[in-house]
Amino acid sequence: MNESNLDPSPFEERGRRLFDASVERVDMRVRSRLNVARHAALDAAQGSRSRFFRVPVWTSAAGVTVAGVLAVAIWFGGPGGHAAHLAAPTETGTNLEDLELVASSDDASAPPMDMLQDDIDFYEWAADKGMTPDSGNVG
Amino acid sequence: MTRFATLSHAWMAWDGPAPAPEDAALDHTKELDKFLAEVERRAFRIAQVSLRDADDALDVVQDAMLKLARNYSAKPSAEWRPLFYRILENGIRDLQRRRAVRKRLMVWLPGPKEDPDEEAQDPLDSVAAGGADVPELLMQDQAMAKLETSLRALPARQREAFMLRNFEGLDVAETARAMGCSEGSVKTHYSRAVHTLREQLGEVW
Repeated sequence: MNESNLDPSPFEERGRRLFDASVERVDMRVRSRLNVARHAALDAAQGSRSRFFRVPVWTSAAGVTVAGVLAVAIWFGGPGGHAAHLAAPTETGTNLEDLELVASSDDASAPPMDMLQDDIDFYEWAADKGMTPDSGNVG
Repeated sequence: MTRFATLSHAWMAWDGPAPAPEDAALDHTKELDKFLAEVERRAFRIAQVSLRDADDALDVVQDAMLKLARNYSAKPSAEWRPLFYRILENGIRDLQRRRAVRKRLMVWLPGPKEDPDEEAQDPLDSVAAGGADVPELLMQDQAMAKLETSLRALPARQREAFMLRNFEGLDVAETARAMGCSEGSVKTHYSRAVHTLREQLGEVW
């Protein structure tokens, strides 16, 4: 067995034979401990294999719990949830008004000149009466 | 031939029930048991040569068996041997590193200095009761002790390559997988190891 997988030289053969002989003379204390270690390893292998294939009991219980929580969350959760429709069946009109408010333009954001042109008659009347914003004597 | 006829013929070709999962698991466990029984003492000796301590060697082998069984027992049995020796060599290296750190700490700590590397071994411990004649056994022990001393003087990678290739009989590809290096590196390490050992031990060893 030189550099590759060739036949070993006599030197290498002797090394191999000496090692094999030393393995045969391993004492009983060590053999016994190795035997115990091997059985512990086999137990571990069986344990890991059964854990891999078996569905643990707690998994089914946890699955039922998670499914329940999800069902409740879907039932009550969110504005479009089933419970929301049940809780406010008569508020359809209110919702439409809200939509109109949102869609309409905001007066406060309009330019001042536009506001003036919209109520030009009112401002002319107020000027005739000599009213100022600070006077407070309306009418 | 109609479709149903083909199916019925296929059914007839099926020669019996598939093995139950329990039976397959039992066969697999038996195979793993056989493999571990084959390698455990050889692995122990390899670890003992590197670590010079029987208890440490036992710990490393036990750990390697557990890791193989837990993590790799589902792999094809043909892959077990290089995997097992890779785990073993990693364990040996880890223990040697821990020893080196402990040795450095012991220099600074008071108290008796414990060094498992320096523990003297009674040569009679390794002599088996009965079997071959005692002079022959003693000669073998002395020759093996010389080989072990020379192996410990080698660089770690050369020692690993020599033990896996020569002692354990792994081929170049398996040794490369066990050592986590290329096949070319294995050849180089092994060749240098043999060259150095031959120089140290001589042809008459």
